[in-house]
Amino acid sequence: MAEINLSDSKGRDALVAAESVATSFHVRWVDDAGAQAGSFKILRSTVPHDLGALEQKYGDDPEEIAQAFQDGDPEVDLEMFGQFLEDTSRVYIDPDSNIVHKVTLEEVVYDPEGNVKGRREKTVVEPNVATETPIKWTGKKFKKSQIYNQFIFGSKVQIIHVNGLTYDFLYDMAKELEDEECLMRVGGGAKGVDKLLFRRGGVEYFGFLEGRTDGKKYALILHLTNMELKRPEPAEKGEPKEEEAKAEPVEKVASKKTAAAKKKALAKKTTKKTSKKKSAKKNVKGGK
Amino acid sequence: MAQALQFQFGSKEFSCSVSKVDRTKLYGTVKVEAVDESGRPCELGSLAGDGKTLIPMGGTALAYLSPDGEWRDKGALRAVDLDGEEITPVSSTFKLSTQLSEKASFEEYLSHNIRLIYELSLAGENEFPSELLGELKSGVIYKFPFSYRGGLDPDSGFMLMGADEVVWMTVGKKAEIHFVGQEETRGLISEDEEGDEADGEDMDFGF
Repeated sequence: MAEINLSDSKGRDALVAAESVATSFHVRWVDDAGAQAGSFKILRSTVPHDLGALEQKYGDDPEEIAQAFQDGDPEVDLEMFGQFLEDTSRVYIDPDSNIVHKVTLEEVVYDPEGNVKGRREKTVVEPNVATETPIKWTGKKFKKSQIYNQFIFGSKVQIIHVNGLTYDFLYDMAKELEDEECLMRVGGGAKGVDKLLFRRGGVEYFGFLEGRTDGKKYALILHLTNMELKRPEPAEKGEPKEEEAKAEPVEKVASKKTAAAKKKALAKKTTKKTSKKKSAKKNVKGGK
Repeated sequence: MAQALQFQFGSKEFSCSVSKVDRTKLYGTVKVEAVDESGRPCELGSLAGDGKTLIPMGGTALAYLSPDGEWRDKGALRAVDLDGEEITPVSSTFKLSTQLSEKASFEEYLSHNIRLIYELSLAGENEFPSELLGELKSGVIYKFPFSYRGGLDPDSGFMLMGADEVVWMTVGKKAEIHFVGQEETRGLISEDEEGDEADGEDMDFGF
């Protein structure tokens, strides 16, 4: 059971439970006799039998690789393939098919058109829903009739009490939100504007709280979204891709830099003049 | 060519082509690359339990065996639920005409985890029935079963109008939201494996 530190409209906060409400589909596979078949992970290929290794051995020509397949089945190891796999570990493999023990993880950021926007070292963000700073009751409420078609709520958790006191605390919250037929934006951090993160290095979401009641029972639901319901913006024409930008002639770049420097210098001059004028005015006002 | 969905609204039929929209198309994406100390790119793979067999991505498969260890062909197996009742597969929604008759309340729609979004645009010389457009504009949401390729577990599909007046189809699964009473308390046990700026204008969905 995950936990969440939540505050209410009166500024009181409490550590309560957050339960996943995602459904799972249960299916069993049976044979003609009604006996249940179990699934097992088996070996299908190894790195020395993979396409990359075969290309190194037989060259890039698909014809030659196909001929090698016919001549000697180099892509199959009859002794190994089909064996059951247990206790496998995830490893990084270098271009020479060796295990790498020390890797640096880099994030490559692509824009919607698939152009590389930049690279950065991968950072792991810590969860923020059960820290000393409670998830803030922001009071920013949105009518259900207005928000259902603005965001995609791809995930949700149900907030549940952990004792009698927190039952009252959460029931009152649910009732308040239900009476107003709204969802309320909640967020992390001191200002309550940060995205919510439940798991270390996981997906960050914006949170919206909804309340429902049924007699003495309640359902307090935290809807999570990381996407708006809107059309993608049309691709900008003529925008250079990373490779094209790199290939830009040096003279052009230099002239751009000169133009930018001139602009900056001009702006500095103007600012100096303005500040001189301002200080002069100030002096006049101050009777100096 | 994109497939078209057939809808029936009252006595009127129309067909729509679907165009998938996801986070990548809206905000771009971030891919993680691993490099070794020499800056060479590394691939993620698996090391078998023997400690020496290296398995590339896609180098494993699932096999089905009977309780006495006999190989079973997946195609010859039947799907049953936990009670042993056979699960009847559903056809692809693209092969059927979908009746728009069930309306979903805002609460019902919000009770679903939405995982797929498609923009619906008219195929050929079709047009949306004006009555339907009027209803969608006023906030009506239509619900129907949806399965892209057919299968055992259909999703819920919803037709709704976005704030930008585009007609959308969203697809998702109903979440198990339940009312809780005072006696149904939960214990707090921290475990890492659990779970999954100010105004709307300040919300930055990008990277």
